Amino acid sequence: MNSEVYVIGRDSVPQYLRLEAGEERTLTLIVPPGNGGRLVLEADLVGPGASLDLAGLYLCPGDERLDLRLLVRHTVGGCVSRQLFKGLVGGTARASFDGLVYVAQDAQKTQAYQENHTILLSETARVESRPQLEIYADDVQCSHGATTGYLNPEELFYLRSRGIPEAEARRLQMVAFLAPVLRRLPEPLIEEIHACLS
Amino acid sequence: MNKDILLEIKNLHASVGEKEILKGVDLTIRRGEVHAVMGPNGAGKSTLGAVLAGRPDFTVTAGSICYAGQDLLALCPEERSWAGLFLSFQYPVEIPGVSITNFMKSAISARRKAQGLPELTPGEFLKLLKEKMAFVQMKGEFAKREVNVGFSGGEKKRNEIFQMAMLEPTLSILDETDSGLDVDALRIVAEGVNRLRTPETAAIVITHYQRLLEYIVPDVVHVLKDGRIVETGGRELVDRIEREGYESIHE
Repeated sequence: MNSEVYVIGRDSVPQYLRLEAGEERTLTLIVPPGNGGRLVLEADLVGPGASLDLAGLYLCPGDERLDLRLLVRHTVGGCVSRQLFKGLVGGTARASFDGLVYVAQDAQKTQAYQENHTILLSETARVESRPQLEIYADDVQCSHGATTGYLNPEELFYLRSRGIPEAEARRLQMVAFLAPVLRRLPEPLIEEIHACLS
Repeated sequence: MNKDILLEIKNLHASVGEKEILKGVDLTIRRGEVHAVMGPNGAGKSTLGAVLAGRPDFTVTAGSICYAGQDLLALCPEERSWAGLFLSFQYPVEIPGVSITNFMKSAISARRKAQGLPELTPGEFLKLLKEKMAFVQMKGEFAKREVNVGFSGGEKKRNEIFQMAMLEPTLSILDETDSGLDVDALRIVAEGVNRLRTPETAAIVITHYQRLLEYIVPDVVHVLKDGRIVETGGRELVDRIEREGYESIHE
């Protein structure tokens, strides 16, 4: 399966996707530090057996104002959509995530999953996460989840107790948090993101 | 000051939030010694280990800790590790997304940097890793696993001893390392600890039960109750606790 990676501010990012029967797409969006503004992505799954695997990560360590809007519509049955978005928000940055999954009345046997997790790196950073499911079919498997928190202090102490300096320990925690999305990226881009975290 | 003294704790008081847990602990440990700290649940045993390792949730409100001639309380957790202190956690923390290899690579390279030593070559590091894994009877794929994720209780504790072997501490603190272990795992853990014993190093074995002390024989035994050491003795104290329980031991 072809995996597409788009870096905001560098690549031309699609704003609309239409998946026909049996079509499979895997997309990963990267929002590097310093990028704000509104980012909109809409997808229609219009043919049975279509599959969309969408992931993203956003790094907002400064004063970014990021507004992520995702809309995935299942208009026919038997399609799968997955979304996993993870973000690190620090400084005085604001990030908002609006994700809507719409499942039409005829779209039976839909599988739709959406997750959005954010770690706040400062007391002054803010995030608003609004994952939503709008389901009109009755035989579907759908879930959504959103969490917002800080780096786990127990993990941090464990790492430091082994001699890993605090800054490096935090960096390891961030890499670990982003790992499920980082795994989808080519090595040079992973290294580029690692460099952003120090 | 006696040159052989590795750790000297004087009148240590420590709190979490408003609650005082350690209420004046005095403890002196010499190089080459193994001390057992026993006591009922809630006595402050784990707090003592955590305060020694520098856990930020605890506040030291009075007293002093001198470790190898240094003011231990002035050091942050990573500096304590570089100075040779090691805490084996009662509840080792899971770190999803970080492999054992990367975890140990970060730990070893930070310590070597702090000590002014050159980085290990990848070959040297791998050799060390394999040698220490064999030490706790861990198989090859262990190094690739995420730290403590999906580990059984026994594997977590063996992982602690593995890390201890990697870091070769001067003062090891084993916090309830025996809890949740079957006899085989207990033996592996105890053998690991015993093989790391040297005339220059010391260990504090924190435990509720006498079981681990059949395998790791202590030189000195302390009973901690309500935040104070209420009795100190030799191995015979372990037997007395086993026979009579902690109730019989008073100040």
